[in-house]
Amino acid sequence: MLFEQVLQQIINGLMLGSIYISVAVAFTLAIGILNFLNFTIPALYMLAGMVGWSLSHYGLPFGLSGPIHWGLALVIGIICAILASLLVERFTYRYFKMKHGDATEHAIPLVSSLGFLLIFEYLILIAHGSDTRGFSTPFTNLDWKTAGFIISIPQLASLILSILIVAALSFLLSRTKVGRALRAIAENPDAATMMGIDVDRIVPIVFILIGFLCGISASIFAINYHEVSPYMGDHVGTKAIAAMVIGGLGSVWGAIAGGLIVGLSETLSIYFFGASSAQITVWSLLLILVVFKPTGLFGHNAIGKGKF
Amino acid sequence: MLNVENIDVRYGAIHALKNVSISVGESEIVTVVGSNGAGKSSLLRAIAGTTKVSKGSISFKKQRINSLSAPSRVKSGLTLVPEGRQIFVSMTVEENLLLGAHSRTGSEVKNSIESIFDRFSNLAERRNQLASVLSGGEQQMLAIGRAMVAKPRLMMLDEPSLGLSPILVSQLFELIKELHSQGISILIVEQNTKLALKTAQRGYILELGSVRQEGTVDELAADKILAEAYLGESN
Repeated sequence: MLFEQVLQQIINGLMLGSIYISVAVAFTLAIGILNFLNFTIPALYMLAGMVGWSLSHYGLPFGLSGPIHWGLALVIGIICAILASLLVERFTYRYFKMKHGDATEHAIPLVSSLGFLLIFEYLILIAHGSDTRGFSTPFTNLDWKTAGFIISIPQLASLILSILIVAALSFLLSRTKVGRALRAIAENPDAATMMGIDVDRIVPIVFILIGFLCGISASIFAINYHEVSPYMGDHVGTKAIAAMVIGGLGSVWGAIAGGLIVGLSETLSIYFFGASSAQITVWSLLLILVVFKPTGLFGHNAIGKGKF
Repeated sequence: MLNVENIDVRYGAIHALKNVSISVGESEIVTVVGSNGAGKSSLLRAIAGTTKVSKGSISFKKQRINSLSAPSRVKSGLTLVPEGRQIFVSMTVEENLLLGAHSRTGSEVKNSIESIFDRFSNLAERRNQLASVLSGGEQQMLAIGRAMVAKPRLMMLDEPSLGLSPILVSQLFELIKELHSQGISILIVEQNTKLALKTAQRGYILELGSVRQEGTVDELAADKILAEAYLGESN
């Protein structure tokens, strides 16, 4: 019985991991290509969820429309996350690059991104308050019961979708002209410029991808857990950073492993030791791992500026 | 082809280039020689557009390019083989060449890359290996090959012989002559002054950020100070 319950928790943990995967990939893109720990990522995730909820609940602002279909609302939420991400690019990364030549040698862009995190979070708090909001979709009781286990079909679909998105991103980075340019910028932005790569035009692509990944992940969360809140980003942000480090900085496939490991350790920890133990377990696991393998499970030899 | 007129480059309080003027004609090999810190690399970076000039004008193919970004300058036919090669070691040899052709589109890119592999058999053998496994000489060939696939009209080389064995250095300068015979203009910055003067047609001596002398290579070779300081000759 205990064995079956643990197995069920493992299944739940893997499903939870699908939420962390995309956000962990967003963090690893920012670090790997731009050497930039983008603290706004949790806020982009929250923004997509809350905008999606607001549109599906109230409709467009100023009474321009009634409640919008939840699917369309989430798509608009993803677009908002992308636009917000581009705003962050404009006023943190690009501004410092223009003023000081290199944006990533300074701590100020990192602090600026933290500023954006708080600004976005409090804007949503002013607009909608701090309550957790229910997000209704038609997928409330779509479970697949097999061999005594319950697998949520939307969660399974979400996990598959997350892995497919990472696979597509991996293909983009390794096989396309844009991906090569991004990897060149990751390794040596100066030499990339000498190759005729317009760094200022390519870098926003990273921020578009970051906004997209956060938006997708928030949508997956809203569909599977039927709720959103202004603080949803804080929870997923720390877990996704842990997933990125465990998987290995600069490794998009590592982020999958990291996301699943974090999801698993979280659910098993809650099952055995109670809800408050999850963060302790995840971060202890991370600290032990980095002592023995500082590059994470699938990271490259160089810690820090990644090489895709 | 290239006209640099009275440019200044400053890095904060450091005045790296002062009122420097040089030119490179069609199908010409021009060298800039000078000691460490003379401003040679700053000059090439200013022409390539990776360093800003605070004064003066740079024209390429009779067009002022001061306001053009570095990538646009590559597109217009101006490439720089940087000091220390700066190849992308986390990518394969072929990917490095593809990056060299980043500013080009169309099916000709593939042919250009194959022609590099035909020219450098060592690179062809390692086309799918990471560039980090290449020897110093092979890395320099890759750096030049990468610049060649951009189809430049003017190729600038910054200290290409640095760290190479004498045999590789002479092969490198043969290659530079070969590029020149294909109609590519060359601007070469080199500490190996003897070889630079032997290869080029004209040259400039850069000293503390200013052009101290210019002329044909014979005129420069006859310069007493240059002979003593760089050619190892004394009275």
